[in-house]
Amino acid sequence: MHVGDVNVEFDKDGFMLEPELWDDAVANAIAQEEGIDEMSKDHWNIVKFIREYWKENDLAPPVRMICQQCGVSVRQIYKLFTAGPARGACRVAGLPKPDGCV
Amino acid sequence: MAKLIYLDNAATTFPKPDVVHDAVHDFYRNYGVNPGRTGCDLALHAEQMIHGTRKKFSAFFNRTLVEAGKEKDPNRLVFTLNATMSLNLIVNGMVGPGDHVVTTMVEHNSVIRPVNHKVKEGAEATYVVPDGEGYVDPEDIRKAINKNTTLVVVNHASNVTGVVQDIKAIGAVCAEEGVRFAVDTAQSAGVLPLDMVECGIHFLSFTGHKGLFGPTGTGGICVADDAEIRGTIYGGTGVRSAYPYHLEEYPYRLEAGTLNLAGVAGLAAGLDWVLDRGLEEIHSHEMGLMAKLQDGLSGIKGVKIWGTKNLKRRVATMSATLANYDAGDVGTILDVDYGILTRTGLHCAPLIHEHHGSTPRGTVRFSVGPFNTEEHVEAAVKAVAEIAADRPA
Repeated sequence: MHVGDVNVEFDKDGFMLEPELWDDAVANAIAQEEGIDEMSKDHWNIVKFIREYWKENDLAPPVRMICQQCGVSVRQIYKLFTAGPARGACRVAGLPKPDGCV
Repeated sequence: MAKLIYLDNAATTFPKPDVVHDAVHDFYRNYGVNPGRTGCDLALHAEQMIHGTRKKFSAFFNRTLVEAGKEKDPNRLVFTLNATMSLNLIVNGMVGPGDHVVTTMVEHNSVIRPVNHKVKEGAEATYVVPDGEGYVDPEDIRKAINKNTTLVVVNHASNVTGVVQDIKAIGAVCAEEGVRFAVDTAQSAGVLPLDMVECGIHFLSFTGHKGLFGPTGTGGICVADDAEIRGTIYGGTGVRSAYPYHLEEYPYRLEAGTLNLAGVAGLAAGLDWVLDRGLEEIHSHEMGLMAKLQDGLSGIKGVKIWGTKNLKRRVATMSATLANYDAGDVGTILDVDYGILTRTGLHCAPLIHEHHGSTPRGTVRFSVGPFNTEEHVEAAVKAVAEIAADRPA
């Protein structure tokens, strides 16, 4: 993906290979891919929290914490980010693929 | 958030009865020493507790013998740390290079992985395929047995769909074919009546922290008096220390090192609690709730229930998915938005998910316990209906 002059690369699941290249423009571009025509205040609220938490802790925040800190339910997150908090919101926030097991 | 509703009893039952907490505290406060390592009164007290628990479980798994006034050797009731350790001991002790083992696609990884490691070492394995509901035909077990078969190992109750296999019929097949029969009762011990003689079971593997309401870190194997198994762990036994090899006699053959003594004390109390309340009463309560849950979820557009809907040969476990949702996402919403705890994914039983077609993301598993109520089930159905309505099928 090209955002301005920057070439942004993703892994096979769509997560950024170089998260440090992330900025608001990249977020908007990924959001478009997620089917979000325009990032609202609620979208940014969640994305910025996830981004800040990741910068401090080097991992994605627990979903419960996103809900508590951003004042939303998980169902609301799914309405904002169709792919959900991990594959949707974290992707827009430019995080590498969050760990998780099945 | 609403009050917590625990529907993950197939992972571990929660909460545990107060008598279990009390027994663990009593052990540590009053006689928490190591039996077999000293002859003091406290050690004898601890040894009596351990031996008494061996007798209690030997009788519990061999009702026919006890009712006939016959003895079951309590030393062939060995304690382990969990069902996985029990099943490793059984597979490792019964299968070697060149041997053949028969098992099923319903199994948990506690069987699949030890068996696959044996295959890497030169054994052969056959995974019998169940029918569309998840039931294994005993005659398919017979067809899979060959001249090199040393073990048939079968899951009694599925941790994914709750399907209960006909172990009496499978045991009869094994007896006719002259093959040793092991049963994984992780989801059925303390839930369904189990009789090793009636079902022709040579090795019964159990865990303590589920239907038996003991602490985690408890489990065991009950070995039939006419069956033998190689020991595959070696070390301290507290007796005959000068002997350079591990002891052959039971229970030492399958036990090495200090037992989870406090856990065994709690496990004994857990079994007493189950027997006081009655297996049938507990199972009937759980299946009544499961019927209500299954009925409620079945009525929601977009919900798919995987495996059997038969409530007769079943424990109170069910797997479901919602259209337009990843199973893990549904579990997260139920947890965070509704305080309802379930278990999502493949549940360490990938082959049965593969069989039903619920791979790679698995299902949402609901498993009911004796402390659940109708209100819990109603809340779960209402929550799933609301989640489903957000993304109509």
